[in-house]
Amino acid sequence: MTAVTAAARTDATPAAAPAAPLALPSGVKPTPARVLPDRTRALGTYLFMVADAMVLSTIVAAYFAIKDGSSAWPPVDVGVGTYIPSIVSITLTMAAASAHWAVRATRENDQRNVAIALVFTIFLGIAAANAEWAAFDKAGFGVGDHAYGTFYYVLFGYHLVHLLAAVGVLGLLLGRSLTGHFSAEHHDPLRSGVLFFQYSNAVWFAVATVLFVFSRVHG
Amino acid sequence: MTITDAGPDADTLAPPETVEIDQGSTAGTDHKVIGTLFIAASLAFLVVGGLLAMVMRAQLAVPDSDVVGGNTYRQLFTMHGTIMVFLFLLPLWLGLVTAILPLQIGASRMAFPRVHALSLWLFVGGAGMVAAAPLASDVLGGWTLSTPIPVGEGFTGEGIDLLILGLIVVSVAALAVAINVLATVLQLRAPGLTMARIPLFSWSATVSSAVMLLALPVLVAALLLLFVDRHYGGMVFNGFTGSRGGNPLLWPRLFWFGAFPLLWALLLPALGAVSDIVPVFARRRLFSHQRAVVAIAAIGVLSFAGWGSEVSNLRRARPLFALGVLLVLLPVASLILNWLATAVTSARNAAARQDKSLKERFQSVTMLHVRGTLGLLLLGLAGELVAGLDAGGRTHRNYWGVATQHSLFFGAALVGAVAALYFWAPKLWGRHLSEKLGKLQFLALVGGLFLTALPMFVLGIQDMGVHTSSYVTDSDWGPANLVATVGGVIVVGGVLLLILNLLVSVVAGKGEVAGPDPWGGHTLEWSTTSPPPVDNFRVLPEVRSEAPLLDLAQTETQPR
Repeated sequence: MTAVTAAARTDATPAAAPAAPLALPSGVKPTPARVLPDRTRALGTYLFMVADAMVLSTIVAAYFAIKDGSSAWPPVDVGVGTYIPSIVSITLTMAAASAHWAVRATRENDQRNVAIALVFTIFLGIAAANAEWAAFDKAGFGVGDHAYGTFYYVLFGYHLVHLLAAVGVLGLLLGRSLTGHFSAEHHDPLRSGVLFFQYSNAVWFAVATVLFVFSRVHG
Repeated sequence: MTITDAGPDADTLAPPETVEIDQGSTAGTDHKVIGTLFIAASLAFLVVGGLLAMVMRAQLAVPDSDVVGGNTYRQLFTMHGTIMVFLFLLPLWLGLVTAILPLQIGASRMAFPRVHALSLWLFVGGAGMVAAAPLASDVLGGWTLSTPIPVGEGFTGEGIDLLILGLIVVSVAALAVAINVLATVLQLRAPGLTMARIPLFSWSATVSSAVMLLALPVLVAALLLLFVDRHYGGMVFNGFTGSRGGNPLLWPRLFWFGAFPLLWALLLPALGAVSDIVPVFARRRLFSHQRAVVAIAAIGVLSFAGWGSEVSNLRRARPLFALGVLLVLLPVASLILNWLATAVTSARNAAARQDKSLKERFQSVTMLHVRGTLGLLLLGLAGELVAGLDAGGRTHRNYWGVATQHSLFFGAALVGAVAALYFWAPKLWGRHLSEKLGKLQFLALVGGLFLTALPMFVLGIQDMGVHTSSYVTDSDWGPANLVATVGGVIVVGGVLLLILNLLVSVVAGKGEVAGPDPWGGHTLEWSTTSPPPVDNFRVLPEVRSEAPLLDLAQTETQPR
């Protein structure tokens, strides 16, 4: 966001010049232009995260409400493995570190390391998504078999959508990084994109905790 | 402009200076254009929802009526409620708020102009899905999508899928607007415009957006789970809790946790608009801007406290939710007293000066609608008081609840919005709406709303059920139903007159041309041209209080 003088703006956008007189009295002297700090994208991302976390919280609340009324959770014939969730957790932890590396590198104006870190993060993100897809294949139950199954697919799917969206955003940011859009002074979009990626990782750990840690109750 | 009430710092003020502001958006993402399109869409759906209501009222006007069958009636009932809440009230405020708010806070644009444009088209797509739902298959169960659980006839098929998906898309569009509004208020305020000085309409929009940010995702999640149940055979709301099944009684809890605050969030901007209009027409500052700020914030916070009053199976928590409903009424009452104190002290001052112009201002169409809002608000609050004390009880399943919703969350919100339209139409579109047509429209709209709501309260006392689609001759429900139907017809007449007024005055350009500040406004939007340029302002007056233009006028009249 840049502040421009009234005259410059009038030149650039003729529609900005009003035909009717302003309500202000004549003779007022403008003070020097003021530029607002550009944290708007990051703020928008934070607000989006609040809304998104409310969606996840509601699904988790429904999960616990039904789990608490169940005679067995998950049903006795359902085995919940820990292999794939562990693989996904480790992969996404590494991805979180490399995403942070990208932001650190851009603060130091090291564009080569920004690109390497983003490529690494995208690769790890795709690997984690692949592992999650394998979890669908190997679940051994369907979405309609029982309530645990429904939550399993909904929560896993919820994270998968976030992860793929975040990987897509990082892909776009990689393109912009390679074409020299970011610098130590201007990297707000990169910061916001990485923030969203880290949020999607937080979604994973919430989902994994709910599905695999708080599921160990049998009546 | 005559100033009758000095602000707190008026004596110490130097002549305000102006400050340059950030550059704005292009015409394709102009918040005023997008806001206007939201308003136009909402009015179109108001007509559709109103006509559906007319068919329902025709069916209920007399006993043993067979205008429509029971199944068709239930579909009309579902679509009327859904359209009025999600496709009329919601976009109406999304439109008014996004058109006015940047102007009020001295911003040249919304924080995310392209997201704003996207949210409009998301809304249009979602609204199309909702409107098409009954064409695909039966959609029954009312706007709560339950009776009270979302199981049985009318809860399967492509229609319900389309309805659920459409509501999700509309809710996401509204969430995008809420995020945009919050980011705009937090980042793009004019220099000097602290949060405590924000105009009350913008403040109410901020609080309303915060409520939506927390409430709408709950609704989205519940709808998502319902969609998985209906479309993919999920088990969250199917069967009863055992080792495999879910819990259908969870649906009303999730739904009302999101929907109850949403209803208050849709009423809040009406309260904010009235809070901005009354001081301008009273020619003085609001009696207490600070208390109004606190009251509006309190309404937002407390709106989450009463959701369980609408759920019938939360017996042990009933007293808690009853308290929640009653608590939210207190800040509303405080706000009403603030308006009345402003108007009464202004009238006294005017009487002391023998100034008759104030009376004329109070009889303008805008102020008539403010009075209408106040009347419907008081009626609705009385209904909500009783319904709150009867949390989870019969008043939520008979016509008492319908009457409360139609007077408070529909009537007061609609008439408050119309007051806002009369007030800000000159600013947004550069033309005044016709006062002559406006007075006729006021009589029809507000008179019709009272004529509809009052007999509905009688039907509540007579315990007529919400889902009743016909009744026998022996029943004593006939007279009140007939009066409510006549009232409904008059309301539709009022709505059509409003649309006619907008078409004639604004679209056809027959309305009186408005100057930059036709009302003697207090807030920043009145410092620019009518209509404003694409990026709203070239210069801004310095902001030193909640009424910067009033400060400006006062320093002009003071000897230097």
